[in-house]
Amino acid sequence: MASSPPPSTATDEELMEAYVDGDDAAFRLLFERYGPVLLRLTRRHLRNEELAEEIVQQTFFRLHGARNDFRQGSKLRPWIMTIAMNLVREHWRRSKRRKMTSLEVDTQAAPEADHMPIELRQRSELLHVALEKLPTSQREVVELHWFQERPFAEVAEIVGTSEGAVRVRAHRAYTTLKQLLVLEIRGDE
Amino acid sequence: MTSGSNRPDDGLGERLRELDAAEARQGDEQMDRLFASVKARCAKNDRTIAGFVKSRSTMVRRLIVLTVFAGLGAVGWFAFPLIGDEARTVPWRASLATFCVLLVVAMFMVTRPVHLPALPRWQSMCLACVAVGAAVLAAFWPYPAAHAATHDHTGGVMVGACMGAGLLLGVPVYALLRLVDRGNAFGNLVAASAAGLAGNFVLKAHCSVPGTSHELLGHASVALVFVVGMGLVHRVTRKPA
Repeated sequence: MASSPPPSTATDEELMEAYVDGDDAAFRLLFERYGPVLLRLTRRHLRNEELAEEIVQQTFFRLHGARNDFRQGSKLRPWIMTIAMNLVREHWRRSKRRKMTSLEVDTQAAPEADHMPIELRQRSELLHVALEKLPTSQREVVELHWFQERPFAEVAEIVGTSEGAVRVRAHRAYTTLKQLLVLEIRGDE
Repeated sequence: MTSGSNRPDDGLGERLRELDAAEARQGDEQMDRLFASVKARCAKNDRTIAGFVKSRSTMVRRLIVLTVFAGLGAVGWFAFPLIGDEARTVPWRASLATFCVLLVVAMFMVTRPVHLPALPRWQSMCLACVAVGAAVLAAFWPYPAAHAATHDHTGGVMVGACMGAGLLLGVPVYALLRLVDRGNAFGNLVAASAAGLAGNFVLKAHCSVPGTSHELLGHASVALVFVVGMGLVHRVTRKPA
């Protein structure tokens, strides 16, 4: 444990550098910053609280293992996101469970959303199902571009493809989502 | 905020925002529990040799592998008799060079940093196929007839010996690559391919039993056994999703 904890205003990169130098408090701060973000990301992708927690833990475990690769001037966020997305992709590859075929509302699939009003829960579920119908490659772009608010260049870096390809995936994904949800959206208006 | 211009800003955007807000809930208690678990895993891992090696930088891990490869190669090359001069043909040299190149490619794939996007699975599959293919192809480049005619051994008897030696030699290579692998998908398949290549390299350099059938059954089979065997082991032992 370091004698003086790093300030909470330190940048991610400063915290990571402090952690590489052996400052455990910096790791804690990084976890506080990225743990909730990753948990939301993995929840959205996996729809399973236990699995989502496991992948968040694995992400930080791998970050810990790869800490000596971190170089000054590197950006930490793409690092963490790439590790997490790799793990999510690996999970999908293993489970091969993208078999939802209908937009049927299944509130049992999201027991973690018990605190939400039923109407909101159903709307949320419908959107979840629509997201699940997207190919993984499009879904991860929506995740990073929309939910994580990352620019296309960074999304491309994280998913390992060109910026142009990412733009195309995003466009297709949003178009598909709109088509899937169009009736429901119109109903709301 | 993202600079991306084609974020949906109509009904869909509203819905996505709603979904994001609905899921933005996790208590401090949950985060504390997760962090404690991560710290415990890290601490446990750091106490092991594998954890120590895996946490070295990518450059160091690659240097470790290359050093061990070079050391093993040098010991094998100078400490044990190579095949006769008359058998050191162009195909023989080309085979050894190919095995070396593929070994290095496998090493780079296995030691790929985890913060880079994972390699597509077809690349690992491709390496495994190329490794087995190269071993098979090498078997069809037999030694010169003059050399074959003077040899005492019979290919059939030596098939088992070569295969056993090749498998035995591949095991440390497999273990080494697994040791430096931080968890790449299909890392075990790539390591198995490398093990098969290493076994074939040594056999090609030292075994003077002539004949395509011997090389197919005694040498190329090593690569096949590693790749198919590890593929099966991976399939059987992989964690359920």
